[in-house]
Amino acid sequence: MSGSFSRGRRYVLLLVLLCGFGVVLFRLVNLQVLQAAELSVKADRQHQKTVSLEGARGTIVDRHGKILAMNVEVPSVFGVPTTLESPAKTARQLSPVLHVRIDELERKLRQDRSFVWLARKLDPEQGRRLDRLSLDGVGVVMEGRRFYPKGPLLAHVLGFAGMDGEGLEGVERRYESSLHGEKRMMVLQRDAFGRTVFPKGLMERTPTSGHSLTLTIDEVIQYIAERELEDAVTRAQAKSGVMIVLDPKTGALLALAISPRFDPNVVSALSPDRWRNKALTDAYEPGSTMKAMMAAAAIEERVVKPNTMVFGEHGHMTVANTVIHDHEKLGWISFAEVIQKSSNIGAAKTGMALGEQRLYRYLQAFGFGQRTEIDLPGEGAGLVKNPKDWGRRSVASISMGQEIGVTPIQMASAVGALANGGVLMKPYVVSEIRDADGHIIKQVPPQAKRRVISPETAHSVTKILEGVVTDGTGVKAAIPGFRVAGKTGTAQKIDPRTGTYSNSRFVSSFAGYVPADSPRLAMIVVIDEPQGEAWGGTVAAPVFSRVGEQVLGYLGVSSNEPVTLAMALRKS
Amino acid sequence: MKTLTILIGLCLVFVFVWERVDMVRVGYHIERLKRDKTVLERQRDELRVKVSALSASGRIAKVATEKLGMSLPQQGQVIVVQTKPSGVQPTDVSPAEVKVAKNDLPNGRY
Repeated sequence: MSGSFSRGRRYVLLLVLLCGFGVVLFRLVNLQVLQAAELSVKADRQHQKTVSLEGARGTIVDRHGKILAMNVEVPSVFGVPTTLESPAKTARQLSPVLHVRIDELERKLRQDRSFVWLARKLDPEQGRRLDRLSLDGVGVVMEGRRFYPKGPLLAHVLGFAGMDGEGLEGVERRYESSLHGEKRMMVLQRDAFGRTVFPKGLMERTPTSGHSLTLTIDEVIQYIAERELEDAVTRAQAKSGVMIVLDPKTGALLALAISPRFDPNVVSALSPDRWRNKALTDAYEPGSTMKAMMAAAAIEERVVKPNTMVFGEHGHMTVANTVIHDHEKLGWISFAEVIQKSSNIGAAKTGMALGEQRLYRYLQAFGFGQRTEIDLPGEGAGLVKNPKDWGRRSVASISMGQEIGVTPIQMASAVGALANGGVLMKPYVVSEIRDADGHIIKQVPPQAKRRVISPETAHSVTKILEGVVTDGTGVKAAIPGFRVAGKTGTAQKIDPRTGTYSNSRFVSSFAGYVPADSPRLAMIVVIDEPQGEAWGGTVAAPVFSRVGEQVLGYLGVSSNEPVTLAMALRKS
Repeated sequence: MKTLTILIGLCLVFVFVWERVDMVRVGYHIERLKRDKTVLERQRDELRVKVSALSASGRIAKVATEKLGMSLPQQGQVIVVQTKPSGVQPTDVSPAEVKVAKNDLPNGRY
């Protein structure tokens, strides 16, 4: 009896076990076969995380490798309002760290949303303070922030990047395709706690950083140019100023300074007018600096020689029913003196002897009325009218720098052509592009656009322009111990109310190169609307002199003059 | 023979399981090292920015003039001269260029 009972219990037990296994088997088939596809997707969603990763934006350095712009990962703070118990308390704790008003933070944290940005791209120190608070419902993600460690230095050339890291102005914009890092989606495996184990697929590689740019700019020369320009603009109470320093042999920009400056680290509060690169965008009537190019054209075409005598009409000459004045009553003077004394009448007569077609041809050859193709965005072409649109006075006016609009970069480029023996070089600002590992992937060689004048003509013009600095209107551009060649310019601006030349608003400029016999620097200084005395020789020429002297010293260019000195030799 | 087969089978299972567990452990280790690397790279970048800001010419000039009482040389005070290398003169002065501050201020003051 007990045996049959025992057997019965065994059957029951077996049945229970079979049922149990049956349930498990059914569940297994249900999960692994019937719902396999759907559950597999769900499992992947829980175990895998797809993230969008972007390589860091490339660095920008000067010609000596000094960092001018680079990315650093900084914290951005977000809130999860739906999980917060006391938004007011959280806002009070966050406010002193984020430097955001309590009521503003509280308003954001009370929104019926599961994600809200509280502050983006903070300083690293703010992130560390935030970590110490370890608040619930507040999270931190790291984002790349663009830093310009030199502040306002070179800001108009560098430009700046936007909140999402895209280049918006300057080099940042022009070289966006090189600078931005690689974007890629990456699948990561997560464990039960949401921690990343490793990327799915061991061959997965992280996105590469953007390329780095090496500029032709020298940070020290840039600083000298900015400091002296800023000083001149302040002293003259001028509206603005531009200074360009370039290597005339290559066209490489060594400095491009614009006053007033701006800090690319804080651009949101500034108007676009403040960050516009006026050296490229704004055309101005150059005034007498244009006489240097006119002189080159006239000598090249054998219309005049430096010693050709020109009558100065005692300061008054009528052309097309209008009177051209000189600032002094000149009689017979040589053509070299026409340029040295900046005679409008002498320039007008020479221009008329040259003729409109030849004058126009040389304006084009020097690059006026067309973009220099410098590798920066927003460049303007200036304004050179076609001869068929010229009036009866146009040849005379253009010869003395009126009725023509040039940009400072065009003028600097043209002066560079006079300096290097007559070849117009393409100005450029980026010399190398390197990949994330530092390998050079592109090197930018100097590019000659065309020969404008012969070396002999360039030599003659240089001699004349040296006279401008030794005996003419540009004596304040002189640099002790060096031969300087250059030309002053004082151009009246058009009064927008009357449409005629203003007697109170001027553009003062000086364009030249040094040392005249073997130029290392071609420079242009343009001061817009200086108050009081506005002569180019008084306002702009001294800036040329101060910058030139310091930069030549910095570059180790020695003077031509003999120097007597005593040197104590030290024995080690 | 049967026992040996079972033992080998168990060993293979053990090796397989051990390998999977070790992969996860190494995965965690790699991730931790990656995080450390990221933090160090971030610190390096912060320091590079700081070095760049501190070595800016404008800041150096400011410190020199405001804290150290230095002043910029006046026009004509700095003369760059080229010195020709000479085999007979014992000198540790670079033969390339020497910058000389010319003393032309009153009373011999620099």
